Amino acid sequence: MRARVMAQVYRQYWRVNVLTTLEYRANFLLWFGFTFVYHGTAIAALAVVLTQFPSMDGWTFRAMAFLYAMWMMSHALHNTFFSAVGDIPDHVREGEFDRFLIRPLDPLFQAITTPGQIFPDELILALATFVAATIYSGVAVTLTFIVFVPLIWIGGALIDLGFNLGISTAAFWFIRVDTLRWIVLQLEQEFTRYPLSIYTRGVRLFLTFVFPFAFMNYLPAAYFLHKTDIGLNVNPAIGLLTPLIGIVFASAAYVFWRFGLDHYQGVGH
Amino acid sequence: MTAIAREATYRFEVFTAIGSLLVRVFLLRTVWTALYAHNAAPAHLPLHAIITYSTVALLMGLVLDIDQTRLLHDKLHDGSIATDFMKPINVPLYFFSDGTGEVLFHATLIVPSLLLALFLVHLDVPDPAALAVFFVSFGLGYLVGLCINFILNCTAFWTLEISAVQLIVTWVTDLLGGQLVPLVFFPAALESVLMFLPFAAMFSTPLLIYVGRIPPAGWAGALAIQFAWFVILAGISMVMWRAGARRVVVQGG
Repeated sequence: MRARVMAQVYRQYWRVNVLTTLEYRANFLLWFGFTFVYHGTAIAALAVVLTQFPSMDGWTFRAMAFLYAMWMMSHALHNTFFSAVGDIPDHVREGEFDRFLIRPLDPLFQAITTPGQIFPDELILALATFVAATIYSGVAVTLTFIVFVPLIWIGGALIDLGFNLGISTAAFWFIRVDTLRWIVLQLEQEFTRYPLSIYTRGVRLFLTFVFPFAFMNYLPAAYFLHKTDIGLNVNPAIGLLTPLIGIVFASAAYVFWRFGLDHYQGVGH
Repeated sequence: MTAIAREATYRFEVFTAIGSLLVRVFLLRTVWTALYAHNAAPAHLPLHAIITYSTVALLMGLVLDIDQTRLLHDKLHDGSIATDFMKPINVPLYFFSDGTGEVLFHATLIVPSLLLALFLVHLDVPDPAALAVFFVSFGLGYLVGLCINFILNCTAFWTLEISAVQLIVTWVTDLLGGQLVPLVFFPAALESVLMFLPFAAMFSTPLLIYVGRIPPAGWAGALAIQFAWFVILAGISMVMWRAGARRVVVQGG
């Protein structure tokens, strides 16, 4: 019964999103233009640098295009389905969140299904980029690749979700978390752009085991590109663990979320 | 002064701005070092020069990334611009001065950022003449950026949602203006076009003067291009402002 209601709500949520997008077509095109330019400039900058220099720590532009596409796909998957989690601090600040608590559905589910102007445009762009980068990089599309890549996308999206939810939960205690979110996002975007092996040991360990962004793209990409030295003294097959890491990371964030929910006292509206 | 006070109250944002800059300085050092380690250095731009270039570019970004006339856009959005026209003030001047505090405040952030960045990287310092010309060029670059932002904010007279366009312009400026990668690394044909665009006037020209890629003989020409862009964009700004302001009166009448 509960599941059926949730499925209905979810369907309505996408219906409203699509209708809103169709209503504000010019606005949608502008934001799509932004998404395109954002990823375009990042890839163009890599291309320019790697025409001057044949490779970065053994990674050519072709390999780095695959590295970027891997991250882009996970990130777009998260943005499409879970970006509304990032609006929770706004709901808390404006007192809207109290309304979620008295309704009979799970508050997190309600937050995820708060309609906005979400359209799967970034996801489509990411998918196209991923296919192009896979062909361009010459990665062997084996059975392992076909089975694991979609799971790695989901795992990567869950890592993103873990951060998004964790930061939003912090809003129960700190009213302004925008800057915190901005820092983490910036760290993610800029550090995942390059091979992990170029960083100092401390940063490599940090990005693998503390903020596990390396699992979003570097470790799986290194595995599929048959890199033997991945800058960590472990078997390169660790790159296939992304789905597991994603589940663990998102679950940890969910536990923190429940803890925050128990301590939430409203902002005094 | 109130604008400076307003900015300073966001203490957390200040730490964020400086912290994020230092992280990016660390990142650029790592990335360029990795690139130069395994490959032959490109002509005329050794590792220490590119690290200096990129770090100074980030410090300039503290000021150049500010939208000084943002208030104009906000006031067009909520309609409160109508009452500003009734006040006995020079309205455009009011918008420029409102953002001045923010700009000055961010300019002062350069000092602590620079001092902390010196723990991470070694920066080359050019001779006093080049340094002086760099500051003139940086100032002209700022004026070019100011006009670009003002023109974008003015488009809000006709169309209300411009945040996406502004972000697009920011990303394009960072790439084509040589903040992310020096324009001398672009394919030669592209470089010769890009160096004449207003984006290059913001970042590339001052930076190339700083690292010595534009020799003293080229200073006058480089500054002249920047100044020409400033004049052209200021002219467009003025036309846009007049047309926009007339529109407000027409709607209000």
